[in-house]
Amino acid sequence: MSMRGLTVFIADIRNCRVRELEEKRINKEMANIRSKFKEGNLNGYQKKKYVCKLLYMYILGWDIDFGHMEAVNLIASTKYSEKQIGYLAVTLLFHENSDLVRLVVNSIKKDLDDMNEIYNCLALHAIANIGGREMAETLALDVHRLLISPTSRSFVQKKAALTMLRLFRKHPDVIPATDWADRVIALMDEYDLGVALSVTTLVMAFAQTFPEEYKGCYVKALQRLKRILIDRDFSLDYIYYKVPTPWLQVKCLRLLQYYPPPEDAAVRNEINELLQVIVNNSQDTPKNVQHNNAQNAVLFEAINLAIHLDSNSQICMQAAVLLGRFISSKETNVRYLGLETMAHLAACADSLEPIKKHQETIIMSLRDKDISVRRRGLDLLYSMCDTSNSKVIISELLRYLQIADYTLREEMVLKIAILTEKFATAYSWYVDIILQLISTAGDHVGEEVWFRVVQIVTNNEDLQEYAAKTVLNYLRSPQYNETMIKVGGYILGEFGHLIANSSGCSPIEQFTAVHSKFSLCSLQTRALLLTTYVKFVNLFPEIKSQVLTVFNQYRHVLDSELQQRACEYMAISTLPTDDMLQTVCEEMPPFPERESTLVIKLNQKQGDTEDKRVWVIGGKEANLERRESMKARMSSIDSISTPTSFTAPEPRPATTTNGNSHMMSAEPDLLGLDDLSISTPNNVQLSSNDVPTPGFEPGYHKLQRAAEGVLFEDMHLQIGLKSEYHGHLGRLALYFGNKTGATLQNFTTQIDSTEALTVISPTPVANVVEARSQVQQLLNIECNEFFRESPGLRISYTSQATGPQRLFIKLPVVLTKFMEPIQSMDGNSFFQRWKQIGGAPRESQVVFKSGSQSGISIESVRNILDGYRFGLLDDVDPNPSNFVGAGVVHGGKAGKVGALLRLEPNMEQHMYRLTVRTTSEIVSEELRIILERSLTYDA
Amino acid sequence: MIKSIMIFNNHGKPRLSKFYQQIDIATQQALIEEIFSLVSKRPDTVCNFLEGSKLLGGKDTRVIYRHYATLYFVFVVDESESELGILDLIQVFVESLDRCFENVCELDLIFHFEEVHHILTEIVQGGMVLETNMSEIVTAIGELNKMKKKSGAISAGSLSLKASETLRSSFRH
Repeated sequence: MSMRGLTVFIADIRNCRVRELEEKRINKEMANIRSKFKEGNLNGYQKKKYVCKLLYMYILGWDIDFGHMEAVNLIASTKYSEKQIGYLAVTLLFHENSDLVRLVVNSIKKDLDDMNEIYNCLALHAIANIGGREMAETLALDVHRLLISPTSRSFVQKKAALTMLRLFRKHPDVIPATDWADRVIALMDEYDLGVALSVTTLVMAFAQTFPEEYKGCYVKALQRLKRILIDRDFSLDYIYYKVPTPWLQVKCLRLLQYYPPPEDAAVRNEINELLQVIVNNSQDTPKNVQHNNAQNAVLFEAINLAIHLDSNSQICMQAAVLLGRFISSKETNVRYLGLETMAHLAACADSLEPIKKHQETIIMSLRDKDISVRRRGLDLLYSMCDTSNSKVIISELLRYLQIADYTLREEMVLKIAILTEKFATAYSWYVDIILQLISTAGDHVGEEVWFRVVQIVTNNEDLQEYAAKTVLNYLRSPQYNETMIKVGGYILGEFGHLIANSSGCSPIEQFTAVHSKFSLCSLQTRALLLTTYVKFVNLFPEIKSQVLTVFNQYRHVLDSELQQRACEYMAISTLPTDDMLQTVCEEMPPFPERESTLVIKLNQKQGDTEDKRVWVIGGKEANLERRESMKARMSSIDSISTPTSFTAPEPRPATTTNGNSHMMSAEPDLLGLDDLSISTPNNVQLSSNDVPTPGFEPGYHKLQRAAEGVLFEDMHLQIGLKSEYHGHLGRLALYFGNKTGATLQNFTTQIDSTEALTVISPTPVANVVEARSQVQQLLNIECNEFFRESPGLRISYTSQATGPQRLFIKLPVVLTKFMEPIQSMDGNSFFQRWKQIGGAPRESQVVFKSGSQSGISIESVRNILDGYRFGLLDDVDPNPSNFVGAGVVHGGKAGKVGALLRLEPNMEQHMYRLTVRTTSEIVSEELRIILERSLTYDA
Repeated sequence: MIKSIMIFNNHGKPRLSKFYQQIDIATQQALIEEIFSLVSKRPDTVCNFLEGSKLLGGKDTRVIYRHYATLYFVFVVDESESELGILDLIQVFVESLDRCFENVCELDLIFHFEEVHHILTEIVQGGMVLETNMSEIVTAIGELNKMKKKSGAISAGSLSLKASETLRSSFRH
């Protein structure tokens, strides 16, 4: 297809030696084409030629913002050569959300229906490339027809399969994948290996979403492998450098990894036999690079499958030996893949022994000349680390950190920090390593690393003295490292007094060490150090005057944050009594958090048009959870009626806080070291009074939707509440106000804490509430399971005005408090998820009447849904008075559960239909109950 | 899945780019530049895989490339693709080009860029491997060319313009 004008143009561009000349030539041509298109009257050949020129400019990286209409016209041409260029332009230039897509849908449909199969293919290819919603809705059935029709030729079928896959990935709600399961699975048997490959790819995507409906593919994939490997039944065309269709083999091996290992021993044997054949085949000496590649592609995927099935099997032992050979191979590709696959083995195997044999080689790989190999080595070392080799590995990593590529450092720091924490056996070792890490890595230490250090030191009493001494030494060194100063400032402020009597650690020496670096620090760090100083004033009155000089100086700086801190700290420090200072600077309570922020940071999420990972980098427990959830997904479909994830809230000894009790230790400690908090179960159980005090409900219900307000009020006492929630954690502040003119004596509170919902009061509430004054109590709340019962709050006190009093009210802590709203979800993804969750039992639906006399007010409904922390998605439901909402419930140990909501009010009938879908039936039901009650009475 | 495919020469000049996820052209260019800067620094003896940078999609994204004579062939893929499988696929692509253009070189890709796209269409569709059998690919292209002739486009005879180094010489790399 020679177009002289095009050839000349390309040659012209090639002759432009500098970018400016090229730009000039391009602009001239664009202007020319624009005017030609404007004049109109072009014949097909001319249109084709100009569109081709535009495409060439596009490939060179120029933005093309016209010519779309001409491309659309070309598609409808009867000449194949023009049609073909039209389709090429459409697939390169059109965006799925472009309005112009509408214009091509009809032409595409016509070509799909055409008798000419080559036209069918052009159309399929265009759909697979653009695949907007409108195309999916209009054309999915035609694509399906081409896929399954017995009259379709194989080159059409294989394209139809991949087109279907693309539409499913983008708009799963449009594709009735489950209805088509049998027909599609049957196509996996197709003799034509091109079709078999495409269909297997399609089935792989369906099976990830609908494992149960598509479980028939398991046997099909096995049979296919058997036909290739044992029966050697395949078309000779598909032998690629002596290996029969490696791509299809790899796909089948991969598909098997999306299912849990089969229970049936016969099936397992069959798979093992196939894997053995692959391992044996790999012993052939390869003829050339391509042969070697193809052979290894199959082998590596086979090893991955073997690890997935049973990491202790005979085959895996053989694999470990092979991998050991690979990681010292001369070929870089093989080393790379060997390390990667070994990391997979390390992440799943019960015993790391076969891998540890190669520890030396693996450590050497950190010094490989290729960064790609170094990365894999790092992943593997991270995965294979355990108590026996952690010291060696961590010190190697620390040594390597100093010379590592900059792009690797941040990740390395995280990994070292996690490993150090996980495998620490001695406090001093942990402190030494982590501070050395901070000191070495400098700017590459993320905030979360030093936060974590502070948390761990705070929560482990035995660590504190040593940590304080060590940071002080670091602060004294001439090296300047901002993260180290932050850690040092914080730790000395909290625990400096523990070392104040040691030589060289006197208060003034501590202060001088910190302050010598003060002027070098950023504003944020200086603010932190000011706080350290006010703590010093509290701990060491003898250096007060030096500290006050600093505060005084900083009362006049321009930065408002520093200025405010300096003024406030100055004022607190110079009050006539130290009461305020002591309260403000009280030692920090242990941190309640359980899941390490480091691990969260490391495991980022992946995009959604892609296949799932079958394993993650890290130790065994990191993968265990994923495997369990894979099994759970399969079995939950089998046994629909038995709830699996919900544990009924078992009452635990309630957290009692009165004048002198310590807090309960409700947390397993962060490190697996001994917990510092002493648990002293309190015997002063208040006599149980299990009927809630009348009048508690209005506040209880209102504050379920609000962060602060009055929880309860009677003649004598007012209880105010402020709250904030983040993820599965929450903090509540309760304010008990004495309204009477008499002192409330023996004031105690007792709050229910259960396994599912732990409530801890870090500091006890004051024993006495003076007349017309207020005391405060802070509560840390953690959601561990999906709970139903709000915790109870029991209060007792006596006073001259009232005599002995007892109150029992409920705290407004309901499941939705642990929900984060999702505001940014478009209609497509909402319905995609909606559909994925499906109907009962994971759906909870109810139709009910509004309790309001005056009818339904859309505004107050909106406020209620908003208050219960649903993100309201406008423009998803075409009917404006219907509500669509989404959120994520953070269930702590029970995991996160996405929640979707549809609420359809019927204004005439004063009725609502409320539908909640989440992946947990417990959550669906609980959310439904909460909303149903509130909508009935509060709207 | 395959997220994108690009061919550029030793100077980073793009000869083909095909993105299977929708990205605006400015980002496309930034990606090509970034990949070129990563890949061109690497000697031919190191491995053919690179981990994706942030721009490319992070850890689960792999850049898999091969260098033939004056051209780099680059596939950006997600974690679910077999690295070696993609390496083989690049070879299939190049050998198919070689058969269709009879001893292919960079100039062929420049002056017949639309042909290159048509050939790629027979190998990868919507980011998924469509066909790996070279004779099947070449036959399909032959069918298309017959259609074109029938529809009246003038055949150019032999397409080849052999002025620059051919790719076949580095097949064994």
